[in-house]
Amino acid sequence: MYALSYLLAARLKNTVRDLLRHPGRLLYVVILVLLFLFAAVGSSGLASDHVRDLHELAAMGNGLFLLVFLLGLWNGFAKGGSVFSMADVNLLFPSPIRRTQALFYALLRQMSTTLLVGLVLLYQYGWLHSSYHISALGMAAMCLGYVLALFLGQVTAMTLYTYTSNRPGAQKVLQSVLILCLLALAGWVCLGGWQSPQDRLAGLVNAANGWPVKLFPVGGWLGWSFAGVLGLDRWWPGLALCAVWLAVMVVLLVRFPGDWYEDVLRTAELAQSAIAAKKEGNLDAAPGKIRLGKTGLGKGWGASAFYYKQKREDTRGGWLLLSPASLAFAGVVIVLAVLWRSAGLLTLFGLSVYLQIFSTGQNRLSRELGKPFLYLVPEPAFAKLLQCLRALLPSAGMEAVVTFVPVCLLLGLGPGSILDCVFSRLTYALLFQSGDLLVERFWSGANKTLLMVLYLVILLLLTLPGVIVGTLLFGYFRLPGGAVGGLIAAGIVNLPVALLLLYSLRNMLEDTEYTR
Amino acid sequence: MLTLEHVTKYYGRTLANDDISFRVEARQIAILLGPNGAGKSTLIKCISGLLRYTGTITIGGFWNKTDEAKRLLAYFPETPAVYDLLTVAEHLEFIRRAYRLEDDGYGDELLDRFELADKRDKLGRELSKGMQQKLSICCGLVHRPKLLIFDEPMIGLDPHAIKELKLLFQEQKAEGNALLLSTHMIDSVEDYWDVTHIMKDGRFVATQHNDPEAGSTHSLEDLFFSVTEGSQPPCTL
Repeated sequence: MYALSYLLAARLKNTVRDLLRHPGRLLYVVILVLLFLFAAVGSSGLASDHVRDLHELAAMGNGLFLLVFLLGLWNGFAKGGSVFSMADVNLLFPSPIRRTQALFYALLRQMSTTLLVGLVLLYQYGWLHSSYHISALGMAAMCLGYVLALFLGQVTAMTLYTYTSNRPGAQKVLQSVLILCLLALAGWVCLGGWQSPQDRLAGLVNAANGWPVKLFPVGGWLGWSFAGVLGLDRWWPGLALCAVWLAVMVVLLVRFPGDWYEDVLRTAELAQSAIAAKKEGNLDAAPGKIRLGKTGLGKGWGASAFYYKQKREDTRGGWLLLSPASLAFAGVVIVLAVLWRSAGLLTLFGLSVYLQIFSTGQNRLSRELGKPFLYLVPEPAFAKLLQCLRALLPSAGMEAVVTFVPVCLLLGLGPGSILDCVFSRLTYALLFQSGDLLVERFWSGANKTLLMVLYLVILLLLTLPGVIVGTLLFGYFRLPGGAVGGLIAAGIVNLPVALLLLYSLRNMLEDTEYTR
Repeated sequence: MLTLEHVTKYYGRTLANDDISFRVEARQIAILLGPNGAGKSTLIKCISGLLRYTGTITIGGFWNKTDEAKRLLAYFPETPAVYDLLTVAEHLEFIRRAYRLEDDGYGDELLDRFELADKRDKLGRELSKGMQQKLSICCGLVHRPKLLIFDEPMIGLDPHAIKELKLLFQEQKAEGNALLLSTHMIDSVEDYWDVTHIMKDGRFVATQHNDPEAGSTHSLEDLFFSVTEGSQPPCTL
């Protein structure tokens, strides 16, 4: 056991030392902490007089914990969740350390990793405090619930994978059961909304806090405890159930009659190859199973071959041409439109554009820049760049349509407003992509954390001209058109800004040093 | 075919290549040999137009950044560059279209040769690393380049593919093309090199021509260790 405690201590010590040796990273951590403090302290005095129903927050907690737990579980069915790294597999497994000890070491380490991920939720404190008067304890409970959902999802996935990896029939049965449970839950919540025609939101919230959800393993139990911390229920039964669940999973894993090392090895290898591919810039954010569909590019000559190639990749890259992140972001905006109609179109559009910042960096062009073909093909650099950007338009358009058709309908706006929102959102896609290229062009050698800060700052700066013109024309001078007019004006300003920026970057594909 | 004059490359303040000049003629296989970190891959990337440098690099008389030079060049990176979501056949179609070439069946010949014909409809992500390397080689050859630059070409390949690749080197040479290979595995180039440049700390520290008639007394391995580790070359009996 000494070896494992040494490993944990050494990792911790080296993480701190690494931070101290890299001022850029340390600065990033300081900025993150300051941002959180600013969000927490700054918003503590901004609590509105009108407090929204805390049951809504409890329902959101249920939804979040269930989503995180079930996503972890679902991935586990396909690839097998693993709390072990390749280094564990190569160094710990062949050593005389007992398997149970190795398992507890990995669980402890995984817990600390997920804890860091959970801290991201802290940034939601501002609006949660303003709308629901959530306390610091409530916020901490939400983060902890998120972390536990993620952690227990991974442990459960690992256990289930170990027991079913060689039994595809059993895997299918479990997957079917999971889908049925999910459908039943969704049906239950929708029924709640349907049965309350006078206040559908209240009906949905009541159903989402009902017993069928509360008793759903892990996600529901964590939601139960979260509601307890908010003062709506008892906090301990849910947590107790989670503790029992964890114990059962660990016992099942330890007592597995076969050798679970083999299953862990497979999943660790998969994770390792994904990390290696990412480092080499070869990772495509593609789903696990791909339907090949139509083969061949069919069109393209010279630089346009890049467009048709990316188009073919996009058709295989995911449902609706959208990445999971884009779909999730669209879902967040739509859910907020349901819960928070009074916020209005501008707020929802602003949130959607803010989330777009994070989905822009994940598109295919970013990955294309990591391959040599874009530089080696004997075509003008600017033509290649434009063809690659052209390939992004369908997915950006689809993202805008998927988000703003439901949002505008929920807000009671007509087709004209939908078109305006889609147009403006598209211009932001172009603007952010140009900003992304600008960062790649000038700062691609900087460390990742500094790059992220730069990326955020530059993208926010790029939005300023459009926002200022829109606000001046339709806010200050009060031209007819209101919020929608402001969005069109911002979009019209965004276009030349993005195109100018792209033109100034026209030579960036002449060699890889202009990019990465 | 390839000419370098006083090529120097810095990464920030680190000198990666220091005033390097050499030529690779048509029908010649040139080797860059050196330990890890000697600057071989950097030099190859400079030649391929992927990195900035000072000095002059021309391919077939054209500056290496021009489209004319790019048409003559094939670069085979150490890490295979394939698209996860394109099939094997689509990779070749893409390169053909990007280089504005009609389909004359040469791509299929290459797939046959590298035993990828039965994997035409496999996605890039479904291939093993060795197969990805083979596909990367096919992609580089499909536009019939005149200068072929390989960065550690043997890594990840199975014995059959290594044999095919060595055969291909000879064929390309016989067709009048120039080849530049970088490697740190001396054994892999012993039987087909024409000229070897040994690199250390970003510089050429020795150049040897494979000229049996000149009666060279040292093997490539002896020369390599004598110039990179400072040991005396053993006497040849």
